[in-house]
Amino acid sequence: MPTFPRPPRCGWRSGSSLTTEAALDVPSVPGATRLELLRLILLQRLFEERTLTLYRQGRIPGSVYNGRGQEAVAAAAGLALGPDDVVAPLNRELACHFARGVTVAHAFRNFLGKATGPTFGRDGNMHFGVPERGVFPLVSMLGNLCPVVVGAALAFKRRGEARVALTFLGEGAFSVGDVHEGLGLAGVWQVPAVFVIQSNGWSYSTPVERQMVNTNIAERIEGGWSIPARRVDGTDALAVYAAVRAAVTRARAGEGPQAVEALSLRMHGHAAHDDARYVDRSLREDYERTRDPVRRLQERLRLDGVPEAKLEAVRRAAEEEVAAGLAEAEAAPAPDPATLEDGVYAHPVRRDDAGSAVREPLGSGRCRG
Amino acid sequence: MPEGTYLDAVHAALRDALREDERVFLLGEDIGAFGGAFGATRGLLEEFGAERVLDTPIAEEGFVGAAIGAAWVGERPVVELQFADFVSCPFDAIVTVAAKTHWRSGLRLPLVIRAPSGGGIRGGPFHASSPEGWFVGTAGLKVVCPGTVEDAYGLLRAAVEDDDPVLVFEHKRLYRSLRAELPGGDHRTPIGVARVVQAGTDATVVTYGGGVPIALEATAELAAGVEVLDLRTVWPLDEEAILESVGRTSRLLVLQEASRSGGVAGHVLSLVARRGFELLDAPPALHAPPDTPVPFAPELEDAYLPSAASLRVALGELLDY
Repeated sequence: MPTFPRPPRCGWRSGSSLTTEAALDVPSVPGATRLELLRLILLQRLFEERTLTLYRQGRIPGSVYNGRGQEAVAAAAGLALGPDDVVAPLNRELACHFARGVTVAHAFRNFLGKATGPTFGRDGNMHFGVPERGVFPLVSMLGNLCPVVVGAALAFKRRGEARVALTFLGEGAFSVGDVHEGLGLAGVWQVPAVFVIQSNGWSYSTPVERQMVNTNIAERIEGGWSIPARRVDGTDALAVYAAVRAAVTRARAGEGPQAVEALSLRMHGHAAHDDARYVDRSLREDYERTRDPVRRLQERLRLDGVPEAKLEAVRRAAEEEVAAGLAEAEAAPAPDPATLEDGVYAHPVRRDDAGSAVREPLGSGRCRG
Repeated sequence: MPEGTYLDAVHAALRDALREDERVFLLGEDIGAFGGAFGATRGLLEEFGAERVLDTPIAEEGFVGAAIGAAWVGERPVVELQFADFVSCPFDAIVTVAAKTHWRSGLRLPLVIRAPSGGGIRGGPFHASSPEGWFVGTAGLKVVCPGTVEDAYGLLRAAVEDDDPVLVFEHKRLYRSLRAELPGGDHRTPIGVARVVQAGTDATVVTYGGGVPIALEATAELAAGVEVLDLRTVWPLDEEAILESVGRTSRLLVLQEASRSGGVAGHVLSLVARRGFELLDAPPALHAPPDTPVPFAPELEDAYLPSAASLRVALGELLDY
């Protein structure tokens, strides 16, 4: 009878501080990866600045959310995955979609509610997935997707495939039961799942101290679930990349679930309507000045000896990609209300004249786009 | 074909699905060495191993979520909830994640959730509910309730082969009380199609699950010819079959074990009021328990649950109208 290995025992540790760069093997992150991280972070930053403007102009319905200040986590975790891995990004991780090869135009089509977007106009803003890119569609009930990635990882383990499933979790989601159940299952089953915790300090307007007693989530994951967890500076793209890359490598090698807690600040309100007045102004100004992930990575690349012209070229290319993607998305058709009921089921049920069940041929229930 | 119980049919369906498709695996509480609270998975751990018959912790949100994740990457998980009452725990995973995913992304989630529902075993408010109605009307889900040995096998096999999330509410009273010839391994009961289990021209009883044997028993010795329509799938409803039967009999009684204001009956009655009004010779009747949780004491539970005797009274009133 096959058995699963027992999880390693971990002692409780307290007073963890940020893991140092040297321990994270940052020096080995290749130059090309560094530039790609910059490109992805800039894409998310510029894309979200654009969507905020479009929203205020009334050109995007509903609302928009953004991950200002957290883009490094999204980009680094997305880039740390292999091509056959799967991921469930959340609200503040557009760069992860881009890292998976989702185009800017495709993302814009979702924000604009277009028929050919990833949700066919049925869901808005960053509420989308792209199954053909291994990206599961976000749901708003944060925490729901934690056990979902554990199940995907369980399937990979069952089939002996060297693939990894990753999801992000805000620190706010650590008050949700699904997360506790998902982490429990990941530990018991020892599956190749990686959890990236976006500790941005606030769950909407509620500070972390009012959400939990022990705010060191890495410590809780390691102490409570015996899942190895590292804490990194989430505004340092290279540190996050090195930490998640190492976690993905360990998970892929059969060492069971892994976690990385990335500390940052949500440098914007929860959504477009929220001015984040509950965050101390001096803290935000200090973050803008010293911990803006875009600026930090640019400075790092300058220290690496990347010429200014190259950095400027990366920014210009990102600007052009966002502008071209928006133009392409705006030209896409709006959804036809007549198609509203298409695709509720992969296999719609109906009867033929003789009263027998008729099955739609495989694939016909699939939505266009 | 050998005879067997409704429970034998469920067991055989799980065993055959595991044998025929490597993507199928089972997960749930105490389904491994213990064989499940009702014995539906007995012996399957020995035949298929711990990686295909997975015992889980008490974490329904977690393991239903995990089943969704496995379905995402191409597996065909079959979850057992120990009692249907516990479906309230993974409700979010079912209605938020499983139900809406295909419609808004095109991603298929072939997922089955089995759950023993219904009363008659003195289970009380937390072990005897009939919660199928919570899911009726939820786009993206299919909900089936077998009421015969044949359908216990055929609906479960069809559910496992379906590319949508399917909830299978088995009736725990039928597990050992129903016995019939077991269907062959190629038998499938189509999802979405009701069946006339007894033809008649004087009245129609629309029911499903545990109501089917009650309806057959109640009408066996009646002078009137009562048609019994077994819905089999309670969502999406086989609307045409309901209207066709009412068209033949002009009198309708809906029998369900779920409390009267929740569930399937309201949808059936709404359908007939909207589209079958002119077919009727009498106001449509509803025979269902009162709007309370399921009680424990035998005196209370017996009074609460529909029975052949109570149904005969209700049918008599309908036929006399």
